[in-house]
Amino acid sequence: MLRLMGNPMSENLGWVGTSPPRRDLRDKVTGRAEYAADISFDDMLYAKVLRSPHPHARILSVDTLEACMLPGVKAIVTPFDIPDGRVAPDVSILDQKVRFVGDEVAVVAADNPFTAELALKLIKVSYDVLSFSSTTDEALSDSAEPIHEDGNLINNEPLVEQRGNIKEGFAEADLIVEESFTTPAHSPAPLEPRTALAKWDGSKLTVWKSSRGIHADKTALSQALGLPAESVRVIGPHMGAGYGGKDETRTAALASILSMRTQAPVRLELSREEEFVAGRRRHSTQTTLRMGLKKDGEITAIHAKTVMDTGAYLSSGPGVVRRAGQGALYLYRCPNVRYEGYLVYTNTPTAGSYRALGAPQGHYALECVADLAAESLGIDSLEFRRKNHVTIEGQPGERITPVNQIVDTQPSEGGIPFSSNGLSECLELGADRIGWGQPVEGIDKSASRSIKRGRGMSMFIYRGGPGGKSHASIALTKDSSYSLSTGVMDVGEGSATVLSQIASQVLSIPYDAIDLVMGDTDITPEASITAGSSVTFSSGLAVKNAAEMLRDKILYQASLFLGEPQHVLSLQGSEVTSDSGALLSISDLVEHSGPISAEATIVPGSPDYVINSFGAHFVEVEVDVETGKVNISRYVAAHDAGTVINPKMAENQVRGGVSQMMGFTFLEDMETDPGTGIVVNSNFLDHKSPTILDFPDIDVIFADIIDPIGPFGAKSLGEPPCIGPAPTIANAIYDAVGIRITDLPITPHKLLAAIKSHKA
Amino acid sequence: MAAIKITFNLNGRDRCVEADTRWTLLYLLREEFGLTGTKRGCDMGECGACTVLLDGLPINACQVLVVSISECRVTTIESLSSNGNLHPLQVAFLENDGAQCGFCTPGFIMSAIPLMEIDTPITRDQISDALGGNLCRCNAYGAILDSVHAAIDGKSHV
Repeated sequence: MLRLMGNPMSENLGWVGTSPPRRDLRDKVTGRAEYAADISFDDMLYAKVLRSPHPHARILSVDTLEACMLPGVKAIVTPFDIPDGRVAPDVSILDQKVRFVGDEVAVVAADNPFTAELALKLIKVSYDVLSFSSTTDEALSDSAEPIHEDGNLINNEPLVEQRGNIKEGFAEADLIVEESFTTPAHSPAPLEPRTALAKWDGSKLTVWKSSRGIHADKTALSQALGLPAESVRVIGPHMGAGYGGKDETRTAALASILSMRTQAPVRLELSREEEFVAGRRRHSTQTTLRMGLKKDGEITAIHAKTVMDTGAYLSSGPGVVRRAGQGALYLYRCPNVRYEGYLVYTNTPTAGSYRALGAPQGHYALECVADLAAESLGIDSLEFRRKNHVTIEGQPGERITPVNQIVDTQPSEGGIPFSSNGLSECLELGADRIGWGQPVEGIDKSASRSIKRGRGMSMFIYRGGPGGKSHASIALTKDSSYSLSTGVMDVGEGSATVLSQIASQVLSIPYDAIDLVMGDTDITPEASITAGSSVTFSSGLAVKNAAEMLRDKILYQASLFLGEPQHVLSLQGSEVTSDSGALLSISDLVEHSGPISAEATIVPGSPDYVINSFGAHFVEVEVDVETGKVNISRYVAAHDAGTVINPKMAENQVRGGVSQMMGFTFLEDMETDPGTGIVVNSNFLDHKSPTILDFPDIDVIFADIIDPIGPFGAKSLGEPPCIGPAPTIANAIYDAVGIRITDLPITPHKLLAAIKSHKA
Repeated sequence: MAAIKITFNLNGRDRCVEADTRWTLLYLLREEFGLTGTKRGCDMGECGACTVLLDGLPINACQVLVVSISECRVTTIESLSSNGNLHPLQVAFLENDGAQCGFCTPGFIMSAIPLMEIDTPITRDQISDALGGNLCRCNAYGAILDSVHAAIDGKSHV
């Protein structure tokens, strides 16, 4: 759990719009911040997982006799001796069928990790090996072996979202452009391998887990294990990040069953290789996108079709496949749009949530095709977007969502305005900063002649912000300090700090004077998960509402005490002041009134508006045509995130997101060998991610937008920075060398081959 | 399992342990001494999260067997601050928002320590070179560079 004690002597107000330090930063720089694997008990056992060597097989038997005899082995759990629980709709705690190389077969608890590892080698498993599919094409073929009962295409049909009639739209077009794209299955590869520590005391299960959603984990665990909800407590320590990829319950369920069997605490800490294959990866995609245009540049129709590989299990696939369509459906003003998303099981590691979900994949196709369209029309890329980007009025068409019903953050229908829309501002601010339209600076005379320079841009829309129902409890305690409790997690993005800033501004106190409690299901109110860039908006609104209620209750009590009307009183830090000049210290008030508390629950969203975040990215690249290496010389990221609560943290989040997606753009591809189903690069040396040596100069700009609904005008920011890099850079490479790479990552090898064949 | 007696100096204090020959220095620090500030990111020498100083030089603790550290000096993140007084690098990370999730932070700080002892001016490229073996998956690299640069320049307010 995260318990940050308030410092009443603090002198840094740290309110909204300023950049006080993260509240947990001191613990992080001293090594005191506790992550799941840092917690231990004297009698704790270590667990290790036996994983399938086959991509698709039925398990006929598991012989644990020899392993059980090994001194120090305390328990072994197999699919044949556990209850029938499910940790997700299509995932059993352990199954008698395995669906990818690395799928869990059995789990051992022993005195130490070395013994547990040794025991794995003594377990004998007999498999009935089945034919497998390592690609969506194979999985969709008639001869493919079904990976789950209902077949390999989820729902047996694509997700279809549309507006207007694309047939008519394309018939009206003077020009049609079309291109196909692929994107890789890359891993978020959080530095902290996922870990669960379970402790069963005979009646209550406590689980410490790398988690971004402790309340969701509690529900999933109690359902899987058949325990009443009140018998399960989930504690979320600091998280060595996850970027979405740690939503998974099997690891914790296995540790829990071992703890119940052994009556001892059990830690299951994955290895790096396991984090790659048994964690979650981004959905790889194939997308074909078609755009119909009038000669004057008006878009008459957009049709996008995406086939998405969800791997062995569904995880968050339905949400991801839907988000991959949002760009095509909503970024450009267009009456006729259709998106088809096919979600397909394969015998590869499970895809799940990874920062910005399907948006980077969808926007890569959309924003490359937009450049293609602009070029075909002879219009500048920026001009094309100025002309066609969706404005605050929203999309043309009729509203279908009933009036008074909260509008989905990602509707397909038109007729609904946005609460705010800073696309235009982002385009102009970013273009101005990069010097769009001015010649790209000349080549340095001393530099090699092989360097070609180019500029590129793209824009994006993202449905972050309103998440699930959100709660906050806030109190003025009997010792006259303030205490805030929320059930969301700070996963490293800084919500503990941002929520403190929001509460402190309402209460007129320093941001770190407030005690903050997060990350423990027993003592925090229920909350949705830290996902979809929703915390600042949704939990931020709940915290703001709760703080306002508390402030009003304090003023009411003060008005009784002072005998003055409430409207002449105001809360000023540790005292209530009156227009009449009267003063009442908070400690005197509490002595008189006792502790005061307030709680707020909100269902975020609006019945009148679509609430989305926006942005535009620009880049200047240098392509070495002799090596295929691309250097980012300048990157400009312009974002509409509404009011920015903590500008320094926000800027670093944007720079981090852009840099993280340099991996998606240039480096990362989790490759499955088609012959064996084995992931061939499940380590940091072979699945290379950007290092500090690759970090480019990234200029961050925030548009001056204040959202009418978000707390203090804020909208979402966590994921949007990840959407722009791939198309922006691909467009710049085209500008530099006239080659459009349509399959990510753009490795030097791939680009060099394309340059050579282009010349020939 | 075979055990061997090893004496070494840990954060300024002489220690003697009966070490299992399979133990890495990382395992010893985390599981036997409870010094969990040193993180286990990969156990393969690829990520730098477990960086500690061995006789003053940064190394990956996961790549060192305990049997090989006899009579060596081991310095971990826990020893950098005392009585609430932070090391200048720690102060600089605080002042420059040098961490997001924080899991890589102790490793980066330990890797940067030798840079503080160089008398000649250091460029940002040299800092990047020295930290090139440490991964930060939040990609907080810009703020990390700013932090280390500020610490070296003596700009952070110790």
